[in-house]
Formats: sequence, structure tokens, C-alpha cells
Amino acid sequence: MKTHLLVLFSFLLFQINVFAQEGDIIVSGNVIDADSGMPVPSANVIEKGTSNGVMTDFDGEFTIEVPANAVLQISYIGYSTTEVPVNGQTELTISFSPEASSLDEVIVVGYGTQRKVDLTGAVSVVDVESMGRQPSPQVAEQLQGQASGVTVTSSGQPGEAPQVRIRGINTFGSSNPLYVVDGVPTHDINYLNPNDIATMQVLKDAGSASIYGARAANGVIIISTKQGRGGLKINYNGSYGTQRVPQGNVYDIASPQEHAELRWKAFQNTNPGVQIVDRQYGSGAQPTLPYYILPGGASQGEIDESLYYVDPFYSDSGALGEFNQIIRANHEGTNWFQEIFSPAPIMNQDFSISQGGEQGNFLFSLSQSDQEGTLINTFFERYTARVNSQFNFSDNFRIGENLAVASSKGNRVSIIGENPINMAYRAQPLIPVYDIAGNFAGTQAPSLGNGGNAVAALERNRNNISKTSRVFGNMFAELDFLQVFTARTSFGGSFFNTNGQIFTFPTYETQENDTFNQLEKNASTGYNWTWSNTLQYQQTFNDLHNVSVLLGTEAYYNEYEEVMAVSQGFYSFDPSYVSLSTGAGTQTNSGFYTEDALFSVFGRLDYTYNERYLLGITIRRDATSRFTNPRHGWFPAVSAGWRISQEDFMDNVNWITELKLRGGYGVMGNQSNVDPANAFTTYGSSRTSSYYDINGSNNSLVEGFQRSRIGNPNASWEKNINSNIGIDANLFMGKLQLTADYYRKDVVDLLYNPELTGTAGVSTVPYVNIAEMSNTGFDLSATTFANITPDLKLNSTLTFTTYNNEIVNIAEGVSYFDQEGRRFNGSAIVRNAVGHSVGQFHGYKIEGFWNSQEEVNAANQTAQTATGDPDAEYQSGIGLGRFRYADIDGDGIITGDDRTFLGDPNPDFTAGLNIELTYKNFDFSMFLYGVYGNDIWNQVKWWNDFYSSFNGAKSSTALYDSWTPTNQNATAPIQETGGSFSTANVPNSYFVEDGSYIRAKNVQLGYSIPNNVLERFGVERLRLYVQAANLFTITNYSGTDPELTGTATAFGIDEGAYPSPRQYLVGINLTL
Amino acid sequence: MLLAISCSMFLSSCSEDFLDKPAFGSLSDQVLADEKGVNALLIGTYGALGGTTDYAALGGGGPWEATPSNWIYGDITGGDAHKGSDGGDQPAINTIATYSVDASNGFFNTKWKALYEGVTRANNVLRALAQVEEIGEADRANISGQARFLRGHYYFELKKMYNMVPWVDETTENTNVPNDIDIWPNIEADFKFAYDNLPETQSGVGRANKWAAGAYLGKTYLYMEEYTKAKEVFTEVINSGVTSNGLPYDLVKDFNHNFNAEFENNEESVFAIQMVANDGTNSIGNANTSLMLNYPYNSPFRCCGFYQPTQDLVNAFRTDQSGLPFLNNYNSNPVKSDQGILSSDPFTPDTQSLDPRLDWTVGRRDVPYHDWGYHPGYNWVREQSSGGAYAPKKHIYWQYHADIYADQSSWAPGNAINVNVIRFADVLLLAAEAEAQSGSLPQALEYVNRVRARMADNPEFWLKDYINPAEPLSGFSDEFAANYHISKYPDGSFSSKEFAMDAIMFERRIELAMEGQRFFDLVRWGVAEEVLNNYIQYESQITTDIRGASFNQNDRYFPIPQRQIDLSNTAEGPVLQQNPGY
Repeated sequence: MKTHLLVLFSFLLFQINVFAQEGDIIVSGNVIDADSGMPVPSANVIEKGTSNGVMTDFDGEFTIEVPANAVLQISYIGYSTTEVPVNGQTELTISFSPEASSLDEVIVVGYGTQRKVDLTGAVSVVDVESMGRQPSPQVAEQLQGQASGVTVTSSGQPGEAPQVRIRGINTFGSSNPLYVVDGVPTHDINYLNPNDIATMQVLKDAGSASIYGARAANGVIIISTKQGRGGLKINYNGSYGTQRVPQGNVYDIASPQEHAELRWKAFQNTNPGVQIVDRQYGSGAQPTLPYYILPGGASQGEIDESLYYVDPFYSDSGALGEFNQIIRANHEGTNWFQEIFSPAPIMNQDFSISQGGEQGNFLFSLSQSDQEGTLINTFFERYTARVNSQFNFSDNFRIGENLAVASSKGNRVSIIGENPINMAYRAQPLIPVYDIAGNFAGTQAPSLGNGGNAVAALERNRNNISKTSRVFGNMFAELDFLQVFTARTSFGGSFFNTNGQIFTFPTYETQENDTFNQLEKNASTGYNWTWSNTLQYQQTFNDLHNVSVLLGTEAYYNEYEEVMAVSQGFYSFDPSYVSLSTGAGTQTNSGFYTEDALFSVFGRLDYTYNERYLLGITIRRDATSRFTNPRHGWFPAVSAGWRISQEDFMDNVNWITELKLRGGYGVMGNQSNVDPANAFTTYGSSRTSSYYDINGSNNSLVEGFQRSRIGNPNASWEKNINSNIGIDANLFMGKLQLTADYYRKDVVDLLYNPELTGTAGVSTVPYVNIAEMSNTGFDLSATTFANITPDLKLNSTLTFTTYNNEIVNIAEGVSYFDQEGRRFNGSAIVRNAVGHSVGQFHGYKIEGFWNSQEEVNAANQTAQTATGDPDAEYQSGIGLGRFRYADIDGDGIITGDDRTFLGDPNPDFTAGLNIELTYKNFDFSMFLYGVYGNDIWNQVKWWNDFYSSFNGAKSSTALYDSWTPTNQNATAPIQETGGSFSTANVPNSYFVEDGSYIRAKNVQLGYSIPNNVLERFGVERLRLYVQAANLFTITNYSGTDPELTGTATAFGIDEGAYPSPRQYLVGINLTL
Repeated sequence: MLLAISCSMFLSSCSEDFLDKPAFGSLSDQVLADEKGVNALLIGTYGALGGTTDYAALGGGGPWEATPSNWIYGDITGGDAHKGSDGGDQPAINTIATYSVDASNGFFNTKWKALYEGVTRANNVLRALAQVEEIGEADRANISGQARFLRGHYYFELKKMYNMVPWVDETTENTNVPNDIDIWPNIEADFKFAYDNLPETQSGVGRANKWAAGAYLGKTYLYMEEYTKAKEVFTEVINSGVTSNGLPYDLVKDFNHNFNAEFENNEESVFAIQMVANDGTNSIGNANTSLMLNYPYNSPFRCCGFYQPTQDLVNAFRTDQSGLPFLNNYNSNPVKSDQGILSSDPFTPDTQSLDPRLDWTVGRRDVPYHDWGYHPGYNWVREQSSGGAYAPKKHIYWQYHADIYADQSSWAPGNAINVNVIRFADVLLLAAEAEAQSGSLPQALEYVNRVRARMADNPEFWLKDYINPAEPLSGFSDEFAANYHISKYPDGSFSSKEFAMDAIMFERRIELAMEGQRFFDLVRWGVAEEVLNNYIQYESQITTDIRGASFNQNDRYFPIPQRQIDLSNTAEGPVLQQNPGY
């Protein structure tokens, strides 16, 4: 505030001065931001060609005395300099465009900056403001749909790091990109406060990214954090809201009565005519729901409830046998999903103070994110602080630093594979959440399967909180000399520390009780540093040749250590008592340490001829500790561009402001896929597999060794050979901006650890450079700006991303590798095969049901003829009402060779559409995200649609829409007590569904309080908004959420997703 | 740090030092190339006997898939046990139980990998030993003898499971070896070497000694149908053999001591896999993880109701008026079961005469289940309609010492009961076979009767009823738990080789029931097809799990794992060949 007054005061003084001139006119005007309509304070207004100038006040207003024919030049950091002829006018409104909407903008590229028009590589510039509207504390999650060529998959779990992929899948290991934050490479940006981000660029091709050499193959995301700019500014942003999950019976679980009927049906189908004797439902022709499920099947009055005895915190494993738990049946049915999911609040706020000027700048910010999960006891909470500053000692020497500190804690459940969410559809609804005394109920009640009490699991998980603190930052110095050189050195890195704990309570309510109690504490710590030194030279000759050369070195060092300790046998489970030193039982511990390093030199040459012809050459030589022979690798790239719009013959084509054709070719490397010990054959010990009780003591072990790893000293980088062709266009005076790219990436020397034959033993197999993969794809982004009326403006941005992945080669004699056996022992859901994309689903294709014995006999007859074996069956487990599998290889009999590819979890395309409307002081924005053409493996169906898949909860489909002789047009097969090859024992097409969806990720309506109101309070900007995230999702997928993460090579498998909640928020943006 | 600065400044070759990183937390083979290191590698080779690490098999897969007890591969396939649990649980075992496996069944790959890991560890011992110069000849012979004994054991398992398997030893460079030779002679050579080189006693009772090698050599000869050689070596083992801790081989009077951790490594234990409970790992990885599923369901053991004895097995314990088994028609007078009867409904157990070994082998309704109380029948069975009415017993620990010998660090228990690879009763019955096959029927009879006499002569060790059924820990009364009657075969009753073999085969079944032997014996005797199809026919009247199954000659051996065939692929095609019928 004081500053504002000061500005005003000096302005008044200045005014007095200018009045002294004669013969000129006095022009008053205001400068507003073309996008937001907000005033632009502190902008320079200069009479062109003179030193006569003023600065706008905090309302963006100015007054200047100039000749009537003068031209005013308005400039401000971050905006394109604008010239306005006065033409005798005395009042002017000058609309001023931020650079972000222009091809003239300067963007950060590897180790420097470049004008966007000079770019020859494929770079997506993220609209940080639009991205920041997504109410997530995670930058990577906000990135979804905002940049073409980037595919982001996240879950509804707070704090869960999303899966980010740039241009598809480049490796069998991690496809996570390299992040470069303020010049420092890192793989983790979870600590970043999104509101600290000033710019974000995605380097997608070799031309732009290969200057990062051995770590560039998955693409590079360059993030610059905010610097102080202009006058002293105080900013506050806050939002608060609630998160909601779907209501109702989301898994379509059958009611207790229906379940009992299904059990009867399955028994009758399996053993026709045999009388059923059931612990819970009796033995009549129809099942009867019991009053008590524990003791099983007891009726009301039969049990003396006063004999109830359970000590939920027992510590002696023998105590379990003395319990007398009593559980009443829940005839209405427990809706387990609704029991574990409930509305939860979300809050984000941040505060910053900043200022910038000729002598330097600073920014200080604080942020708080507090997101409770909709799943019981899950949450993510984070505090960050940032100090960025720069000191300009002279015109040519600058020193600065960027420093962020973040502290977060959270409680998350594993969401890949079987997890507590599974139990929401596995536990039978007849089981209540609590028994008659308020302790947990469960499958201690007999004959009700083994689905656990998810509420119990999550409540017991309450104190299993992990905490991370992290410091990330760098210091840098820059010196300009001899007009054309800039030297820069930057030293930065991060230090982090993570602590977690898992307390295991004894259980008493399940069939498979844990009888021990245990505290596990784990801590990991690590630090890494990167020291980069660059020298840049830039000169223009004859106004035609612009040459820029960069040379640099970089050293990187990383170390990581973790320790884990376990203690058992606690006298009390009170969290204030439980510690590693208070357990009376067995204590164990373990540890791990590793370090690795890189040393690199690199260079870049950019040459522009006559603003038309562009050439970029980069090369990097990396040396790494992970490889020994060779230790060094070279990563070159060349790219070129042609700014067609600059050519003389384009002079008359007015609707084209800018048109550029560009292409590039180069090599990027990847080393992250390999363990630092890969080169060595090592021997190690394991208490559970190489120790042995050679003395027959029954209670102690003697140390023994086993070969733990087979080394490959010759492993080297994965090489991603990349070609890219693209266009950038700015059409209709900036109303339409287009960037489109087509690329091809051939990943050769792909590191793969081909499983050795069993005869080689089970040591860890080394990675060898053996596999190959290719990706092709198309990225498009289009932005339009339209002023529909003077007050009504429409901006929209479309991003469109495709990738087409193909595994070209895996290893000699190896044409595939399988993953994700889940409940299909020996058969896997996912087959990564040569000629196919990573992660495809594989199994038997269902043609229909066996509807009659004649069909069965005919098929068996065919099989017997084909094989000459009179006992042959067409397919194992062939039977009425079961699945009929397609004879893919046409040999008349179903064998392993008839398995085929059933679906592809990779989408045909993903797209994001961002629409922004402003009308006077109102603004509206909507962001739609869509994924098309991906398949999902719905493993939930395995549990719920087949009576044979454990005796857990079942779906209505299993009861009402399963095959019977009179319902042959069914969805599910005949319900039986045992699984079969011809039903649910092997992966088949029953589980594959289309996973396409469109989701309204974000809808926001804001209102900015008019300036004339704010002025009185000295407020620059005050905006209030309401927002809905994930407002609606359009999909045919039957599960709870089609957006599913996974591992690098197996994803899109739903075994109980953590659905992204619908969020309703209110928020405020305030600037002083 | 300073180093890095100078590197950055001068781009000099000092970056090599900056970039040289060792493999942290492990040793190289050079470090282990002395006597101490070789011994540690040898312990590691014993460490693979359990087939598991923590909660997985060595090389991945469920721990039970690599079970060294062969409860799946020897007992379920041999008609002694049902899979148990319910139809949808571990469905891969359903196809094993019904002889309808395909080569991609993961269990066979898991078992294969765990066994070859054992082979690899033995080979690594022999390779490292060859590098060691400073070691006494006796120690060298002992170490190499044990390594070759263990390798022989792993290959014996492989051979009886898969028949045609590749042979990889310490001289093999390329481990992608074809499975085109019969490796019985190689196994014989390993056991022969061990027999000739190992000492009679060892420093650790878990180590193989000369006599364990002799017994295994004899068993190998029997599988090779070399009856004379088998007879010779068995005679020596039976007459002179001692355990590694120096006890002369004999049968323990209390049959159950073979399955009780408190009394293990006794005079009957020829070679056993040492199991440990509460070993400080907070895991049941060394405590019979591979049996963790095999406890009665809904019981004090919690999990999971697998491995239920069959009615066919239970009937085999029926004895006639003279205390002898019904060799041919044992199913004609079945033992009474509680199939289909709720625990709350009344039931009276079978009252006719039974071999007392039944109730040390099988848990049945209203008979003491060790000191855990009467087996309640229905309530302890997950799904009677598919798994039948019975519970396993030989690997079940006792309540009175459960805090020492059972391990509760997982969702299912572990225990310290050793896995008997060969016990002396097995040796006697194998010797009886060798004698019968080579015509010495009286000697065969003597061996068989020695095994029967252990039971017949020691009724004090037959199962008794509780003093107070409500307090099972308070001990056992003098009342037998059932109507037991067992006697020796009369002198001269082995009148023909055929009868002798029938009697020996039957005796093996009931003496070694639920010890992982049955299927391999049936195949070895060439009677699997007949016996197992009869079993399927009989048992299918009782349970649903194996209905429709049938056994043919191709099912004598399990498939070479499809995964291994795929992995053996070279430019000329796969090196491994599949067994017939898969």
C-alpha cells in the first residue's frame, strides 16, 4: 500500500513537471490487459524515439504530454511491446497483450531461452493459468489434457502421484519424464506448489530434449518458478470445497436374500437334486436368512448374547480361541462402498509477496493444501514455502537463488492389485459393519467367504501416516561480458526425508486372522546435487545471420538410503505408547543404500538466417556410474525450421501472421531403467531363503549365501531415435494459433532383463540392451481468441494427443512377456508381445455359451477327429451354460494357442478442451478431458459375476442374468460352485470393456469485483468463484471410474478403483 | 564434492573416480572363495530345500507351488487328498487334481524354478570349492559330498515330476541345455559320490551324512529298477546306518514323533528339511510356508482348509479281524464319515476296526485332533461338497507347545515340523520292495513287519481319547480314540512276489500317507492308471471336485513348463521338448 501511495505521489510530482512543456497535447489514458480487462499498473509509456515517458498508476492510468502526431510505446515485462499513434486524441484506452498469447514470446528451453518463433523442436507450452484452475495440489495431475503429447492418468486418492507419459511408452521401465525445475533436473515434483509456477514447457522431441542426453528419452518438462515482477504485490488465493463419490449400489451387489438364492442356484446347478446343508441358510428348498450369522445360522432367542466376549486389542494369539463373538445378520444388506466412502473436504490456499525491479527481485510464498480422501482416513496435507530472489549487482552480473521447502504427510492405500477397496465388493452384504457389541463384524461368521471388513481395515490404518520433507533449490550466478557472452553457473539439488509407519493390529473378525501386533517404521533419506556451468555466445551479423552457441558441463550425484525396523508384541496399542522400543516381541531391521553419478558435457548451436531459416544442433556426452563398458555415450540432434510467413511471397497473405515448418532428428537416452548394481555378479544373503537351521535348533538360523545377481558389465543406454515434423501457425491476426506435430520414435538397445531359463537359477537377471520399441503419433494444439462483443470474449484451447506404441523386439527367442496373474494362476492378463503395444490384454475369446448338449457333442466330435484322440474334448471344462471359446488357430480344439489379444489399454487418442468466456466482470471456464479407444480389464467382474470366484458378495448379474436353460441370452455364464477353464479360471474376453470417457474436469464461474469498488480499499484485484471438478463423466464403462493407473507395462486393470470424486468448491483470488 | 568441482572445471579423467560405484550391500565371488565362504554357500544350498523365501516361492509364485512336501504333486494327484477349501480357491490345483493340466499351469513353472535354484546353488558351491586351495582333503570331500547330495535331491525331485529334464552341473557354461537324456545315472553318480565321501556323522544334525546318501542312492536304484544294487545298499544302510547326530537308524516307538517338532531329528530321521519357527524374521518363511493353506478352516489355526484327506485314503486304514488291511477291496466297507452332517447335528464315529495310523494321519469328526479338541467336522471344513469331510494331521502342531513350535507371524500359521524327505520306515519299505523284486520274500516280509510292529507292539502310542473333552490340554485317558486293530503279517504269508508287492504297496500307502509319496510310487509301480481311475470313480460319488476326471498314461509325468520351453527358444527353435500328451 505504501508503495502505491509513493507511486502516486511521484506521479503527481512528475505531472507538474510535464505541464511545463508547451505546444503539445495532454493525453490521458489507461492500459488494460487485453485478456482479463484488468488495469496494468507500472507499465512504461514512452513517446517513441524520445526519453519522454511516464509509468501507469495502480489503476493502469497515465497522463503524458506529447506532440499530437506522436507514437506511444507501451512496454511491460511479460507483455508484447505495443505502439499506439496518438493522432490528436486526448483520451486513449490501450489494450495490452500478455506475451503468452503470442508467438513472439520467449520460452525456456534446455539451458537457456529461445523466442518461440525460433523454435525448431517440438515444445508444448502449457497455459499455466488454465492448468492452475484444476483444484489439485499436484502439478502433474493438473497437467492432464493441458499439453498435447502428454498423457496423464491419475486416481481419486489424495497425494497419489499420477502417471505422466510424454508421447507414449518408451521403455519397459519407468516412462516418467525428467523434470527440470529452475534448471535443476529431478524426477519428483510432488513438493511443488502449483501457484509458484510461472512457466511450464514440455520438450517432446530430440531437437528440444536431447540436450538432456541420457535422461531425455521420456521427454523433459521444464518448469520455471515465479520471480518478483513490478511493484510490491501481495497475493492470496484460497479455495474450499467438498468432494463427493457416487451414491447407491455402485457395484450392483445382490441383496442378502438374493445372494442366498444365488447360492441355492449355484448348488443346484452343480449338484442337481442333492440337498443343500448350509450353516447360514438352513437346509430347506429355499434359503432362509438367519438372525445371527455368528454363531452361524442361529435364530433369534437361540443365543445368549450376554456370553459375548471379544477383546479387540488382544495380544496373546491364543486368546482368539476364547472369544465368543456374536454377529446379527444385516438383512437389509450392508452397502460396503458407502460405508467406506463419504464426502470429504478439500482446501488449498497460498500467499505470496513479491517485487521486482532493476536491482533485482524477490518472491516469497507460502501454501497449504489439505485434502481429505473420500475413502476413510486417507488424506494428503502439504505445506510449502518458497524464497526466490535475484540480485543485479550491475548491468552484467546477477546472482540469485530459488529455494523451496515442502513438508507433507498423508495416508494412502495401495490402489494397484488387491486392496481395501476390493473388500467393498467382496464382503457379503449380509455381514454388518459391527457386531452386537460394536466391534467389527466379519467372516468369522462361517460360510460367508473371505471378503474382509473394509471399514475395519481402514480404521486400523488410521495412524499409518507417512511424512516427507524436502528441500529443493539452487543458486546461480550469471555474467554478461564482451557484449556477446553470458556465463552461468548453477548449483542445486534436493534433500529429502521420508518417514512412515505401519501398525498391524491383531484381527478377530475374519477367517484368516492376523494374531500378532506389529509396528513397522521405515525411513528413507537422500540427497542429490547438480552442478551446471554454461557459456553462451550470441551475435547477429549483417542483420541476417543470428548465431547462438552454448557450451556446458554438468555433474550429478545422488545417494539414497533407507532403514526399516519392526517390533512386535505391544502391551498396549495406544499410539502414544507404541514405539520401536516398547515392543516386547521380535525385533527385526533392514537397510538399503545406493548412490550413482553422472558427468556430462554438452553444446548447442542455433543459427538463424534472415529470420527465415532456422537450424539447431545439439550434442551431449554423458558418462554414468551405472554403466561400465562403455561408460560414455553421445546424444546428438539436429533440427531445422522455415518461417514461411517471412518470405516475400507471403507478404500479401494477410490472414497468415506466422507460419513455420520445422523438423528434427536425434537421439535421446535413458538410463533410469537399470539398477546401479547391474554390472556386477553378486552374492548376498537372505534370512528367509539362504539361511538354514543346519543344527536343527528349531529356533535359530545359520547364515548362508546365494548368488543374488548375475551381472552384465556391457549394458548401456537405451537410445530413443526420434524424428519429428511439425508446423506452428498464427492465423487471422492471432485469433487462431495452431501447433501440430507428427513424430516417430524408435527405441533401440532397449534395456530388458530377459528371464533366463530356470536352469540358470533365480538370481536377479541383468538388464541387457536387447529390445526395441517404436512409437508414432500426432500432437495438436489449437487456440482461438474471439471477441464476440466488446464485453464478451471467448478463448478456447484444444489439445489432441495420439500415440501408437509397438514392441518391435524383446529378446532373442522371446516374443512376449506376461504380467498380472491376479487370480488366474499360471495365466496372465497382460501380454507384452512383439508386434503389439505395451500392456495389451490377452486370453480366450468368448464366442457365446454352450447352449445344448448337441453343441457340446458336435464340438467334441470335431476335436476328436482333429486330434485322433477318442477322449479329446473341444475345450477343457466344456459344459452347458459355460463359455464357448473361439478356435483362433482353427485346429478344432482349444489349447493355449487359441489365446488372443482381447483389448488394448492404450487409448486411440486423448483430448482436452479448455473454454474460457469472459463477460464484463464475469468469467466462466470449462475444461473437458476425453480418452477414446482404450480398453479396461474389469477384474471386479471376476469376483462378482461368478459364484465360483470365492464365496463373497455377488452381483445382480450373477443371479438374474446368468445362463440357464431358459435364459440362453444371458450376460454371465451358468453359476456353479467351482470355477472352470470354461468360466472364470482363465483370462477371457468377459472382462474386457471399452474404457472411453469424457469428463468435465473443471467448470468454474468467477466474478471480479469492479475496480471502482476495490479502489476504496486499496485492493488491486478481488475475484470470487465457484467451481465444480469432475462434474460429470460420460462413459459406457460399468465400473466406478474409467480412469485407472497402473504400472509401466500393465495398466487399465480395475480391481477396485479409487474413484475421482466430484468436487464443489468456492474460492477467492486477492491481489493487493 | 571437491572432486566434482575439479572435474567440472577441467573435464579431466578424474570423472572416472567420481563415477566408479561398487554394488552396495553384496559380495563378489572372490570374497567367498575360501573355506568359510564355500561353507556359507553350502548353507545357502540347504536354504533352498524349503523352496521358498518369505511368502513366495524361490523365483516367484505362491510358496505352496514350490512345496518340498509335495502335498499337491504327490498326495492330491495320488488320490490321498482333495484340494479342499472351495472350488474357486487356487483353481490351478483343480486341473492338477483332475489330470487336466495344460503346460502353462504356473505351479509347474514355480516348482521347476525353485528346484533348479537348488541345483544352481549346489553347482556354485562346487565351482567355488574348486577355486579354494587351502582346505583339508576331508573337508573338501565333505563339502563336495553334501553339495552333490543336495544336487542329487533336487534332481530326484525334478526327475520324478517331469521325467525328461535338462542336466546342468558345475561344468555347464550355457545353461540352456536340452532335456534329451535320462538323468537317472547322473543322480545315481551324485548320491554314489556322496555315499562314498561323506562322513557318518556331521557337525550339524541338518547336514546329509553318508547314510542319508546311501538311503537316497537305494531309492534311486529302486526308481531305476536296479533291484539288486538297491538291495545291497539298503542292507548296508539298515544294518549300519546312523543319523548325522550318531543315532543308529531305527523306528521311533511313538509314530507321531515323526511329525512333532519337539522330537524331530530322532533315530528315524534319515534326511529331513529343517524347519524353524520364531526365528527372528517375523515371517514364516522358514516355518513351512508352503503348508500355510493346509490347516482346518474356521479353526484355531484360522486358515485355509486345503489338503483334505480323501475317503478313499481313510478307507485304506480299515483292518480285518486279524488286524490286516483289505488289500484289494478296501472301499467295500467304508469308514463312516460325517459328510453332509452339520456340526450341531449328532454323529457317532466309525466303530469298526481301524489301523491306528489313521488317527495320526487324518483328522475326523469327534476324534481328538491332537490337543486341540475333537475335530468338529462340518464347521472346520470350508466346503464339504467339494473337499470332503476330513482334515490333514501329520503337519499339524500341538497346542501345548504352540508358542515354541508354531509361528503366528502371518495370516496363516507356520510351524517348525521338519519335512521328512526320507525316514527309516520309508527305507525299510523300499528295502522290502527291493527284496521282493529280487525274490527274497522272507526278508521283504521281515521289513514290512518291522514297520507294522512299531504300531502293533506299541499300543501305548495309539491315539487315546481325552480325559476331559472340554479340556483337551488336560491330557489323554487310557481309552483308545477308536477301535484300533493292527497286527503283523503272519510268517510265510508273502507267498508270492505278487502278494508281497501288493502288501508292500499297500503298507507304503498307509505308513507314508500324506507325506507326498503316493503319486510317484503309483507311477513307479506302473499301476497309476488303474489305481487312480478307480479312485476317481469311487471318490466322485462323494465329492464334486474331481468328477469327470480321468487318468491316462501321459499323466504319469507333469508337463515341462511352457514358460521354460519358451525361454529355451533359440534361432533353431526351443531346446526343451515337451513331454508326450501336452
